[in-house]
Amino acid sequence: MATVIINGKTSSVKDGTLILDAARDAGVEIPTFCYQADLMGVGSCRMCLVEIEGQKKLQPSCITPVMDGMSIQTETPQILKARQGVLEFFLSNHALDCPVCDKGGECELQDMVYKHGPVEGRYAESKHRFHEKDYILSPVIVKNSNRCVQCLRCVRVCDEVVGRNVLASLGRGHEQEETSFLRSRLDCDHCGNCIEVCPVGCFMRLPYRYKSRPWDLKGTDTICPYCATGCRMVVEERDGEALRARAQIGVGINSETLCARGRFGFDFINDPRRLTTPLVKKFGKLEPATWSEALDFISEKLSGIEGERIGGLASPVLTNEELYSFQKLMRSTLGSPNIDSSTRWDPVVVENYIAASAMTSGGLSVFDAAEADTLFVAGTQLSDENPIVDYIARRISAERGTRIIVASVRDMKLDSSAGLSIRHLPGGLGALMKAAALSLYESKKDKLQGFAGVERFEGLSADVLLGEAGVSSDELAAITKRFETSATVALTAGTDLLRQSCGILALGLLSDVLKALGKEVLILPILDRANQRGAWEMGVLPGLAPGYRTASKRGLGTKEMIEAAAAGGIDAMYVIGEDPVGENPSGVSAFDALSKLSFILVQDTFLTDTAAMADCVLPGAFPAEKDGTFTNQEGRVQAMRRLKAPPGDARAYLAIIASVSGVLSSTTGVCTKTNSMQVFNEIRKEAPAYAGVSLEFNNRKNKLNKLDNREALAGASEGGFTPVAMTSCAPAAEQRGEGEFYLITGNTLFHSGRLSHSSPTLTGLQKGAALELSEADASALGLSSGEEARVQGNDYEVTLPVRLRKGMRDGVVYIPEFFPGVSVERFFTTGVSLPVVKVKKS
Amino acid sequence: MEKILLKNIDKPESHKIESYIKNGGYNAVREALKLGPDDIIQRVKDSGIRGRGGAGFPTGLKWSFIPKDPTLDKYLCCNADEGEPGTFKDRAIMDNDPHLLLEGMMITSYAIGAAVGYIYIRGEFEFGAKRLEAAIDEAYREGYLGKNIFGSEFSLDMYVHRGAGAYICGEETALLESLEGGRGQPRKKPPFPALAGLYGKPTVINNVETLACVPAIIEKGVEWFKSTGTEKSPGPKIFGVSGHVKKPGLYELPMGTTLRELIYEHCGGMRSDKPLKAVIPGGVSAPLLVPEDLDTTMDFEAMGAKGTMLGSGAVIVMEEGTCMVKVAYITNRFFSHESCGKCTPCREGTIWITKILKRLEEDRGRPGDIDLLEELCGNIFGRTFCPLGDGAVMALRGAITHFRDEFLNHAAHKGCTA
Amino acid sequence: MLTDKVREEILKITAKYYNKRSAVMDALMLVQKDCGGNITRGDMEDIADMLEIKPHEVNAVATFYTMYNYAKPVGRYHIQVCRNISCALLEAERVIAHIEDTLGIKTGDTTPDNKFTLSTAECLGSCGTAPMMQINDNYYENLTPDKVDAILKGFE
Repeated sequence: MATVIINGKTSSVKDGTLILDAARDAGVEIPTFCYQADLMGVGSCRMCLVEIEGQKKLQPSCITPVMDGMSIQTETPQILKARQGVLEFFLSNHALDCPVCDKGGECELQDMVYKHGPVEGRYAESKHRFHEKDYILSPVIVKNSNRCVQCLRCVRVCDEVVGRNVLASLGRGHEQEETSFLRSRLDCDHCGNCIEVCPVGCFMRLPYRYKSRPWDLKGTDTICPYCATGCRMVVEERDGEALRARAQIGVGINSETLCARGRFGFDFINDPRRLTTPLVKKFGKLEPATWSEALDFISEKLSGIEGERIGGLASPVLTNEELYSFQKLMRSTLGSPNIDSSTRWDPVVVENYIAASAMTSGGLSVFDAAEADTLFVAGTQLSDENPIVDYIARRISAERGTRIIVASVRDMKLDSSAGLSIRHLPGGLGALMKAAALSLYESKKDKLQGFAGVERFEGLSADVLLGEAGVSSDELAAITKRFETSATVALTAGTDLLRQSCGILALGLLSDVLKALGKEVLILPILDRANQRGAWEMGVLPGLAPGYRTASKRGLGTKEMIEAAAAGGIDAMYVIGEDPVGENPSGVSAFDALSKLSFILVQDTFLTDTAAMADCVLPGAFPAEKDGTFTNQEGRVQAMRRLKAPPGDARAYLAIIASVSGVLSSTTGVCTKTNSMQVFNEIRKEAPAYAGVSLEFNNRKNKLNKLDNREALAGASEGGFTPVAMTSCAPAAEQRGEGEFYLITGNTLFHSGRLSHSSPTLTGLQKGAALELSEADASALGLSSGEEARVQGNDYEVTLPVRLRKGMRDGVVYIPEFFPGVSVERFFTTGVSLPVVKVKKS
Repeated sequence: MEKILLKNIDKPESHKIESYIKNGGYNAVREALKLGPDDIIQRVKDSGIRGRGGAGFPTGLKWSFIPKDPTLDKYLCCNADEGEPGTFKDRAIMDNDPHLLLEGMMITSYAIGAAVGYIYIRGEFEFGAKRLEAAIDEAYREGYLGKNIFGSEFSLDMYVHRGAGAYICGEETALLESLEGGRGQPRKKPPFPALAGLYGKPTVINNVETLACVPAIIEKGVEWFKSTGTEKSPGPKIFGVSGHVKKPGLYELPMGTTLRELIYEHCGGMRSDKPLKAVIPGGVSAPLLVPEDLDTTMDFEAMGAKGTMLGSGAVIVMEEGTCMVKVAYITNRFFSHESCGKCTPCREGTIWITKILKRLEEDRGRPGDIDLLEELCGNIFGRTFCPLGDGAVMALRGAITHFRDEFLNHAAHKGCTA
Repeated sequence: MLTDKVREEILKITAKYYNKRSAVMDALMLVQKDCGGNITRGDMEDIADMLEIKPHEVNAVATFYTMYNYAKPVGRYHIQVCRNISCALLEAERVIAHIEDTLGIKTGDTTPDNKFTLSTAECLGSCGTAPMMQINDNYYENLTPDKVDAILKGFE
């Protein structure tokens, strides 16, 4: 600890603390431009100069660490004059076109000049102009260098946090300009973090251009609906139109960062095709109806159907309160145990996944995982699927030296921060983790006498496992060496484990061995739906009730419901926010199956394929149009607020569920709560892990410069459950022949499900799906980038343009999930986690 | 005084290794290998030699900051980015006596434990770079470079790295940035290069002339070195004189020689009958001196006491009739051209000043220009990231202090009264 | 496009350094000399590829240093007259004006036959022999108009 005196007041701070941070801790504000928390200090803008007793020159507080006994002044006449001088220099070559600048009104330069600057300008020379007209850098970024203050936050955030490194300073001196290669269009993540960190109107968002003035916007805090990272953001609207989303320094684990989906993808909310009124099927056609007509219709239709013959499916992008109420409606009001929250995952696999990734033990902060000695990123294309976790891992690894191991089939951006990148075979992750566990066990056998579950090693052979994984023994040795020399090991449990169940048992085994070796093991689930974890914790699973308690009666999962529908085993389905018909899970034609039902009730925001064949459709609301909470993949429970009303007669799902429950139940009050806070209080009782969760709204940075609000992490679940044993776990069952490829899938950087395809901006960034394959495979097939290939398998066929990928393993092709016109799920067969497809030049 | 720096440059084929050896070269390095690193560093410390690049930091002390840990890679970088206007001393050594520099670098590398040395030479010195490369080839051929030099444990590789036109790369951390393949913008300190320099490894950066002094310190001894120059600025120094003197050129003289002696004895006085008006004593960053100051001695202390600096020892002599506004314009134009763009005061301030001076020089001055110039100087001085901005400002302030009327007349459209 | 010869030389240069990036300055200069003074987009992409860096990083270096005639091609003989203080004191301006008159071009321009480009330079470290100029890699010192005439004639 060091004692420092700031403006006469003594305080005590950690050794090595920067003067700027020490001052801010002491409540003394020092103005800055180039300083940005979480970026390496550069000390170039000279705005933050302070006086240190005994030193002749003013010193930059943002890069100067305190020394014990240091006496610092921050407000002397000399400093005030220096600030004024710096601001005058900034203004000398600044465009000063505030009236036409999008940043006007929220510009740091404006604010700073207002607060600290000179009152009149003395610069009477010609100004340097970089260009006459603004130029476009990407479909979402537009640039005006004449306003730049050379803080280089854009360049640094792109390199240090996003890891894309596509911006640089060109030119020298006053002609220095931060831009792309030859100012050309960027081939990047289009995340817009360069815009977010820009203090002035130099980097600007193209979709928001000239749309509004900041003071005309009304905003509210919400949570990004695109993946389970749980980024906090503010969505702002004017006259009912949502115009932009942005993140704030120190708020949420994402702080000021978002990815392209988060920052630009919220515009689905303005889609004119949204449902605005209830629809009721009359004479085979859906017709607009009033709410009471629709509810009467539902009551009439549903009350005649036995509870167990009704299926319920709710989207994992609903709030906890909606999901909780829905399962309560299904289980209590309707008396149906058939409830699920995904069209993709098998509920038995999900239960095992929950157990193996220790979700029942409560929340795990992503920062703890990133600060482990070794972070093993596996089972997820993290950089594309959960970009902000990628940012956090990169930044913390650079800061603290976390050793990152990336194990994946395809290359990913995080490879550049990883000391070790392993490219395993598709479906080979389980074998890889087992091989690591086996190798660790065998090398320390003497120490591991009495290791519980040693029988799990029976019949395992390192050579066979390595063959299945497609990994060399040297690579395995490199992995185990890193594990052995780490005190804490963080393992990610990505969605690939849900696709390929073998990995789940291997994860458990690896984790157990590491623990037996005395390591602290942290398992971080990586999920792709905003409230997937919440859906499970709210009991939207056929076998689990809220709070991970075993359900009193086990019901059907999505796949089984569809099969049951086809076989006449159920009569009705209640679907919220999911589209089994459009998504066609598991090769069964959901359309054919659902056609046999006597009643289908759909709540959605759009007229999906499922909604189109429903008997009744109720218009719902998106985040930003409702209150509620999400539980992210870490187990962090975060609240969001309503910004605007949903369009037309649409209502929040919670209100709709309450209304449906109200008309169905004679005993009113079963689940008629429409206030999300009231529902949450009920959840606190039903799921004790949520009892102590703090929902304090703003997840503000605390003094220790941590974004981590641990009070929001769910606690451990009491009791726990025993997952149903998984039946088979055979890797790579099918062998591929000539012209055949293993098929892998997953989300892309710009699309993750139905929602993103309704965003004009995201569709502009990536419209169609592409088939990715290695350069060698492409050339063997006579395919070059952009040409079309025909993919066949499992009685399904699709034609896609080809994209070559340098870091793809040979023999593997990738097709993204959830693209209109491409039902990649159709290639998958039940029980086979790794499909084989034929690829031909089209 | 016996010359050590310029002793060979006029000899025939002085750049060849045969010539260098014939004239007693490469004895010092043999001697040094016998002494051992600690002894060498102690001797260099005892000699009191201070860096000849401009800042005058004690060389031995700089070397002693290098960690002794033998497992760490260490680097020696020779700063041959000679770019301070008026300076042309290092070029003479590199063009005509490259082996003297190489020998100095060998001894230094051995002392600090470096196995690789880079000579960062400014890109314009293509001739010198080729001479150095040829000299390095010769040295490898003769076994002075490479593995196990003279059968010892000491191995050294040496390379020439060409700059490409950036004055700022003379600043040591900018030089490292440039050597690593980046834009030559200064790095923050700490960490200092002695701990984390080139590629993050401990690094010594010394000027050409400094390194060229090292063989003599080893061979002739500490006492010999200290016998020349002043107590606090010992040793010989090359003064490069340009401008309005009869015999411009390089002069190796003891530190502490007076300006008067340098100009009137060694350089033969002024070129015409016009008297001396001003003299810049240490490159254009150094505030100028006037005739009353001619008896000041050329050493770090005396120059500092006069509010200027010895700098690189580049003496620029100006006769009566020289327009000081024009001199100020030319020098500030240079600084704004060379400002790297990193920090605000230097990037924005030097170009602003240059624009004002250009107007003044073209008789387009405005009332208040001179006050504004002084205000801007105040807003730059001491506020910049590296010394470039300070240099620009100090020189201008000096010119305005001594020749205020000339500036005021320009501002008042009275034309040049120089 | 880089020629094989240039590629080979760049490879050789990378061996001098701890990392390939350090070779970027020499690589740019080699390309510039090889292709007659103009570094193109493709050249920068090729260099980036060879040195395992990004094209914009090459671009950033190419535009920081003044000796790269990036995007402004020069003639076969690039005349750079020093205009800094020591040369200016000894009438470098007269030398510049004389060359402009002789070649019939302004500073910054290239003769129509693409033979000479005239530019000014900051101090080239030849102050004791001012005024001076550099033509391609060579220095010409103690200039007078007559001497300049003789030098330029030498290039005919």
